[in-house]
Amino acid sequence: MSGRAALAPGAPVIEARGVTKVFAEGPQLVPALRGIDLTVRAGEFLALVGPSGSGKTTLLNLIGALDRPTAGELTVLGRPIGTLSRAERATLRLHALGFVFQAYNLVPVLTALENVEFVLELQGAGGERRARALEVLRELELADLAQRRPAEMSGGQQQRVAVARAVAARPALVLADEPTANLDGENAEILMHLMRRLCAAHGMTFVFSTHDPRVVAHAQRVVTLLDGRVARDEARPPEPAHEIMPGAGRAPGGA
Amino acid sequence: MRLPVATRYALRSVRRNTRRTALSVLGIGIGVGLALFVDGINRGRAELFVRATALSGTGHLRIVPREWRVRRDPDLRLADGAADLQAARALPGVAVATPRARVQALLAMGTHVVPLELLGVDPALEPAVWRFARHVERGRYLEPGDRDAGVIGRAVAERLGADLGDEVLASAVAKNGEIVGAMIRVVGIVSTGSDEVDAGICQVPIAALERLTGRAGPGEIAVTFADWRTVEAERAGLVKALAPGDEVMTWKELTPDFEGHMRQDTAASRIVTAIIILIVLLGVTSAQLAAVLERRREFAVLGALGMSGRRMAGLVIQEAVALGLGGGLAGLAIGGSVVWHFARAGLDFRRVMGGSYAFAGLLIDPVIYPEFGAWLLVEALSIALLATLLASLYPARFASRTDPAVALRVAQ
Repeated sequence: MSGRAALAPGAPVIEARGVTKVFAEGPQLVPALRGIDLTVRAGEFLALVGPSGSGKTTLLNLIGALDRPTAGELTVLGRPIGTLSRAERATLRLHALGFVFQAYNLVPVLTALENVEFVLELQGAGGERRARALEVLRELELADLAQRRPAEMSGGQQQRVAVARAVAARPALVLADEPTANLDGENAEILMHLMRRLCAAHGMTFVFSTHDPRVVAHAQRVVTLLDGRVARDEARPPEPAHEIMPGAGRAPGGA
Repeated sequence: MRLPVATRYALRSVRRNTRRTALSVLGIGIGVGLALFVDGINRGRAELFVRATALSGTGHLRIVPREWRVRRDPDLRLADGAADLQAARALPGVAVATPRARVQALLAMGTHVVPLELLGVDPALEPAVWRFARHVERGRYLEPGDRDAGVIGRAVAERLGADLGDEVLASAVAKNGEIVGAMIRVVGIVSTGSDEVDAGICQVPIAALERLTGRAGPGEIAVTFADWRTVEAERAGLVKALAPGDEVMTWKELTPDFEGHMRQDTAASRIVTAIIILIVLLGVTSAQLAAVLERRREFAVLGALGMSGRRMAGLVIQEAVALGLGGGLAGLAIGGSVVWHFARAGLDFRRVMGGSYAFAGLLIDPVIYPEFGAWLLVEALSIALLATLLASLYPARFASRTDPAVALRVAQ
């Protein structure tokens, strides 16, 4: 399975038709998603917004192949999530998806470099994986933190390393659940710029959930969930390239 | 060479909770140490039993007439004792090969009579296979050149009322069927510490026995080896070299009760070892399961990143191997030190058993010297690794089944 980001621009990455998820809480059935219809295409930078309990995390879990829908059809990178076995879903996550968690969730006993290298090792990368991991850290301007463990880094630094871990294998789709929830405004801005830069540079698709209006402002498309349904799906005009990729679209030597 | 990240992760995880890891390693170490001590005693006891058997006159091997296996008739003689003796002495690793002859006899002095098996021996060689030659309480043991001399057990002397220098009459059935007799001058009285054993001792030079019975040549050849473990390997070579009509029996065949007793002891110590390992195993399982539960969220994250359940189980097993190695080395240090000490000082059961004791007609000194050797390293690591691997199976399965979605939901 190829997880490389190089999908044809506009190719469907996520296709949801009538996706429903119901949780059993004791004898009661609690619907979390009630028939989601959604198509996400390659290269999109999409925000999932909505109040608590609207189904954002549940939808991300389904798209991330962490769970299976109760009803409806959900296809991620051409793979029908509802019919995949546990092992097949793990393989899909390993090779084609990247995750950024709200609480960073770096492995505490590994250095930043090892956290990134670990994903490549799991993928079966050979001896070059350490160099590749270091290259990713350099690209995200994190090389100075390579030998630090999570406890030796700030929250913002940890989350940027978590992004490096998520994109190290160049997945086609990166999912982020409230990635800025534990960050201050400045670090949240830095992180969003970083994610947008990766989206633009490598053609990766980003889907992230958030409550933060400042973060929503970065999205090219905003999908609002309410009571487990898509309440609004709104496209935003793309920002100038130099806003997200320093140097792009400027005249040589320009300020 | 750099270790894989997964291995580094496992090794560092072991060090996360140093107190728990130290306690686990200590627990494994004590368990393994106990198991080594129990096995060391068992091996030492095996050595003791074999030594007791061999040096009670049985020998590690005994060359006997073929019919003897069935008839156990002391009047039987070897087909060619001289050739058999030469063949036995040519074997590598042989310490001593000495000829013997027996006859059922009555010893009499005055109105007292004692029935026993009169044993003809080579006075120069017998002390090497019969340790009680050094237990002469009064007088001396037989010497080369003795003609009519004899040593008797203390119980025999008491029953006959005999003392040093007394002459006792030995009567036996000669080769021609006639009852014959000869006077034996008591030169030594042996006290083994066991009346049962003392009551059967009367040794004379083999030439004196030949004169008494008219039967020439030895009835058996007792053979001892420098290392009793080589006996089975050497046996086949000796069988081929023997005169036709003669055969070889090992100490196990000669003292089957003893062999059974040893097997029982070995089984008992294995049960004790198994119980110790089981206790260690449960302790390690509990500690590892706690470690996995504490890191449930971490395993869920690894699962979300695409790590398969099998690889997660592998992580837990690698941690177990690290614990097992640590515990094995701790066990080696603990058990090895104890075994080393008692291998030198001996584990003396005389206080509780009241001196030596006899079993199946053999006298045993209840001082056990546990065996100290390279087996300790092999066994310590094997037991520790096997126990921790088994102990890690349930925690590993638990880790491998962590549901990433549920775990993340709980964590958040």
